[in-house]
Amino acid sequence: MPTLLVQDPIFTQHLVPPGHPERPDRIRAIEKALSAERFAGLTRRPAVATTAEVIATAHRESYVEEVAAASPDDASEIVQIEADTYLCAMSYEVALKAAGAACLAVDAVMGGEFANAFCAIRPPGHHAEGDRPMGFCLFNNAVIAARQAQRVHGAERVAIVDWDVHHGNGTQAIVWDDPSILYASTHQMPLYPGTGAPSETGCGNIVNVPLAAESGSPEFEAAFGERILPALNAFVPDLIIISAGFDAHWRDPLANINLSESDFAQATEQLMEVATRHAGGKIVSLLEGGYDLTGLSESAAAHVATLMTA
Amino acid sequence: MAETDLKPVEEMTFEAALKELEQIVNRLERGEVPLAESIVIYERGDALKKHCDALLKQAEARVEKIRVGADGKPTGTEPLDDDTPF
Repeated sequence: MPTLLVQDPIFTQHLVPPGHPERPDRIRAIEKALSAERFAGLTRRPAVATTAEVIATAHRESYVEEVAAASPDDASEIVQIEADTYLCAMSYEVALKAAGAACLAVDAVMGGEFANAFCAIRPPGHHAEGDRPMGFCLFNNAVIAARQAQRVHGAERVAIVDWDVHHGNGTQAIVWDDPSILYASTHQMPLYPGTGAPSETGCGNIVNVPLAAESGSPEFEAAFGERILPALNAFVPDLIIISAGFDAHWRDPLANINLSESDFAQATEQLMEVATRHAGGKIVSLLEGGYDLTGLSESAAAHVATLMTA
Repeated sequence: MAETDLKPVEEMTFEAALKELEQIVNRLERGEVPLAESIVIYERGDALKKHCDALLKQAEARVEKIRVGADGKPTGTEPLDDDTPF
C-alpha cells in the first residue's frame, strides 16, 4: 500500500522575522529532498483547511478566535504573540491547513486508502497548549489528529510518539487526563520548555524519557527500546501519530543530541512494527521541529523512505 | 538576562558560577527561556557546570595534598599544580 505525502506551498506562507529558526525554507528543503527519484512512489496531496470547530477539539474555542483576531491585516506585517511565536496575515489560514493536513492524513489512513502518511507542515504544534500559543506553535496538530481519528473513525486508543528534541508540553497538557490517548516522548532535558520529567505521568497515559545533553544513538535506542516501545505495546493503539521533529539531529543549532538520519529510520521501522502488530500498520507522521536544513531534510527523507517500505 | 553582558566563565569564582548556574536551571525548569534562545542559555549553563567541576577538583586536590603532607613528611600547603606529573 502506498504512502501519502501531504505537501502544500501554503506552508511557506507563514512568515516570521529574519533570523527566526522556524522559517519557510524548512518546508522548501524537505520538498526538495522528497522530489528525488526514490520518492516517485509517494502519493502527493495538497492540504485542505480544517475548521475552527475541529481545532476546538484540542483547544478552548475562544483561543481559536483569539488567534484569528490577533492576525494582522496588512500583508507585510508580522506581529509577535508570544516569546517565540509570530503571526503574519496568512498565519491563521496556514495553521488551519496544517491541522487540516493532519486530519486529511488521518482520514486517508484510517479509511484504509494508505498504510501511512507524512505531513510536511508548519507551523508545528506540540508546544501549543489548550489556551495559548508557545514555542513556534499555534494549534496542536497531533492532538487534533488523534481526536479526528476518534471522533470520525471510531478509534478507541491513539498513541502520540514525540521524538522532537523538545518536550511536547502542549500535547502533554491537553491529553493529561485523557486515558484514550497515550503520549510518549523522548527529549533533551534540561532544555526548553522545562517539562517532561519521568514523574509527569498524567492519568498513567504519559511516558516521558528525557535524554541528557550529548546523548546519541545508544541512549536514544535504549530510551526507545526500553521505555517507548513497551509502553506502546501495552497500550495497544488503533493508530500511531508521530510528532516528527528532527532537531535531535547532531547538526541542529537548538539542541545538543547527536542523532543521525539512520536513527530516525530505525525508530520509524520500530514504530511500524508496533503499528503492524496492533493498528493494522496505521501511522500518521506530522512534522514538528528541526532547524538545520540539511539535518532536517535528510532526516525527513530517511523517515519517509522507511515509511514507504510498508 | 542580556547574554552580551555575561562575564567570561573562566574568570568567575565558584560561588558566582554556581549562583548563575542555579538561576539558569530555574529558568529552564520554569519554561521562562524562549525556544530560540534556549540553547545559548543551555550552553552557558554547561560551561558554568564544567567550570564549577574544575574548581571543585582543584579544591579536592589541595585537600589531598595537605592530608598527605600531614601523614608523614609535611610538605607545605601550596596548591597542587595541575601540570605536575604524578
